[in-house]
Amino acid sequence: MNPSLKLALLVLVALEISFTHVWTVNVALIVVSLILMVWGHVAFKRLAMLTLIPAFFGGALVWSLTLRGTASSHFLLVIFTRMVAYVYMGGWFAQTTNPLTLTRSLEQNAKLPSKFAYGFLAAFNLMPKIQAEVATIKAAALMRGQVLHFWSPQLYFKVILAAMNWSDQLAAAMTSHGFVEDAPRTHATEIPLVTRDWIMLVGSLVLVQVGLFIGLP
Amino acid sequence: MVTVSIHNLTFTYPQQSRPVLNTVNASFPAGQFSLITGVSGGGKSTLLKLIAGLLPTDATGITFNDQSLTDIPATQRSKTVAMLFQEPSTQFTMDTVANELQFALENQQVPADEIPARLTAALDFIGIAALRDRKLMHLSGGEQQKVALAIIVAMDSAVILLDEPFASIDPATRLVLLQRLAQLSRERGKTVILADHDLSGYTDYVDRLTVLADGHLTHLSPEATQERLATFAPAQLRLQHVTVPDNDQPALLQGTQLSLSANGRTLVTPQDLGLFAHHTTLITGPNGSGKSTLFRSLVKLGHYQGVITYDGTDIHRLKRRPYARQVALMFQSAATQFLNVTVDEELTLSLKNSYADHFTPAMVTQLLTELNLDDRREQIIYTLSSGQQKKLQLLCMLIMAPDVLLLDEPFKGLDYASLQTAIQILKRVQQDLDITYILVSHQLSGLDTFIDYHLQLADQHLTYQGVRA
Repeated sequence: MNPSLKLALLVLVALEISFTHVWTVNVALIVVSLILMVWGHVAFKRLAMLTLIPAFFGGALVWSLTLRGTASSHFLLVIFTRMVAYVYMGGWFAQTTNPLTLTRSLEQNAKLPSKFAYGFLAAFNLMPKIQAEVATIKAAALMRGQVLHFWSPQLYFKVILAAMNWSDQLAAAMTSHGFVEDAPRTHATEIPLVTRDWIMLVGSLVLVQVGLFIGLP
Repeated sequence: MVTVSIHNLTFTYPQQSRPVLNTVNASFPAGQFSLITGVSGGGKSTLLKLIAGLLPTDATGITFNDQSLTDIPATQRSKTVAMLFQEPSTQFTMDTVANELQFALENQQVPADEIPARLTAALDFIGIAALRDRKLMHLSGGEQQKVALAIIVAMDSAVILLDEPFASIDPATRLVLLQRLAQLSRERGKTVILADHDLSGYTDYVDRLTVLADGHLTHLSPEATQERLATFAPAQLRLQHVTVPDNDQPALLQGTQLSLSANGRTLVTPQDLGLFAHHTTLITGPNGSGKSTLFRSLVKLGHYQGVITYDGTDIHRLKRRPYARQVALMFQSAATQFLNVTVDEELTLSLKNSYADHFTPAMVTQLLTELNLDDRREQIIYTLSSGQQKKLQLLCMLIMAPDVLLLDEPFKGLDYASLQTAIQILKRVQQDLDITYILVSHQLSGLDTFIDYHLQLADQHLTYQGVRA
């Protein structure tokens, strides 16, 4: 499915289940997301993480509300399933979408200004460099007799400095590679936006509406 | 064919009183390979960035065939001028080589159906077709610089600027890049302007040498250029005093069946390796061959197979903190090692944490003066030039006085005078404190009398070079 429409679908459905109280729809969304993730070859370990984390926090919330609050069991069920549904849908999107394809789609299909699209992408591609930098900074500090813990402000100061330095260098390099803010560009890789994408978007939305309508008490 | 002319250009950085460039007049003709040299921190990078239009300035003193860069439409500027940067890894936006090239060509609004052909041609010209679908972050620094040049070739920029592009690149890669640059200027009429303080190996490629000193530019005549380049002739780069260590000498750091790999690529096949106390060992080898990986393994930062012992104990069994005072690494990137804001704060920290009570504040002042840093004590570290940062980092690590100091490219970005001073200081501290040095350096000039052992990494094996003692 076209990444921009995929994102739009995700945001719209998430918004809708935030304001409605139909737990069956939440469960249906969880099941569909799970099937899509399994179909998209998401690793089992990742799936387990995506399940355990919302289950833990959702469980904690439900437990505290049961002890202290006056919420009905229906509301608790909605809250819990809603949390899992958010994480599963987010997981489905993040695990089955290539950042570069998303960027190109946002630029070409959704007409997002290219400076946002490519600025985000450049930062994304720096992520492994940032992780490696943290380990290196810690070791380098140790060799100067200074122990940095993950709560040490100096560590963050160093990482932010490094990131700022990189962002300047990246900006210069993008300019040197011909990138001009808001200027038109050609596209050697076209991200298709076909009728099928629209049908899937509209179809999915209609299904959710029907589910919500039927499920409403 | 584009000639770059500079008329009465003066540039001062905000919050600094002295101009970096003072009424500079120069001309860089089309089809010529010009080399700019000068001390580190002397304004070479600033000049190149000004030509590339990367620094905000109202100066109109720079013209391309009598046309100012601001008169050229923004989307066409990369066809006029493009720059290759000193730091290889932060000049890419995309994930893979092909995507980055495509990105640059799309920016130039090259029609989509022409892009694949231009992309392939550029990769073939540099000879890196095999890297096409590799992730940029997984490439070595030398490979990244080749990709950066391929992008400029694909964009067909008329003026090619290079800012210390070989700072951490092995001689083989450097040679390939130099040949391609000479070809670009001679056969395709490109204007190539390269800034470097290390003049070795340029004799056959460079048409003209330009010296930047005290904010002024001077073009040298062809004869003067050759004369100046000859002082860096390769003959002086050979190490003539190195010996092969004795077999019965006990090693301080001993690798047994040690092997190294990175990103699934074997760097060193299993071998025994001894590194010896109270001497200076130089490790050389092609870029990306595993020298830095070896260093990272020796300080427990990287993965390795086999066993490494320090003074007879497996380093796996040694705790990180006490081990850091015995074996310390001076990282290749100087900024990594700084923890404070100003030069003075940094030195105070090292003095406070030093393992030896050898250094006094007066000695530090003396050393700062020798390194030309004495008037910069209050300066913010990150506003120092890369050469100045390197000198400060060296000082900070020497003050720490570990038993073994690993130095990864300690002379990167240093001009010749600073290099000589740095070596003098290293020698003196070694005499006083009996420190063991192990260094990795591509910069070999001036090292001859400093190095005891030379370890060469070639064909995935480390071998001691020189005559048997």
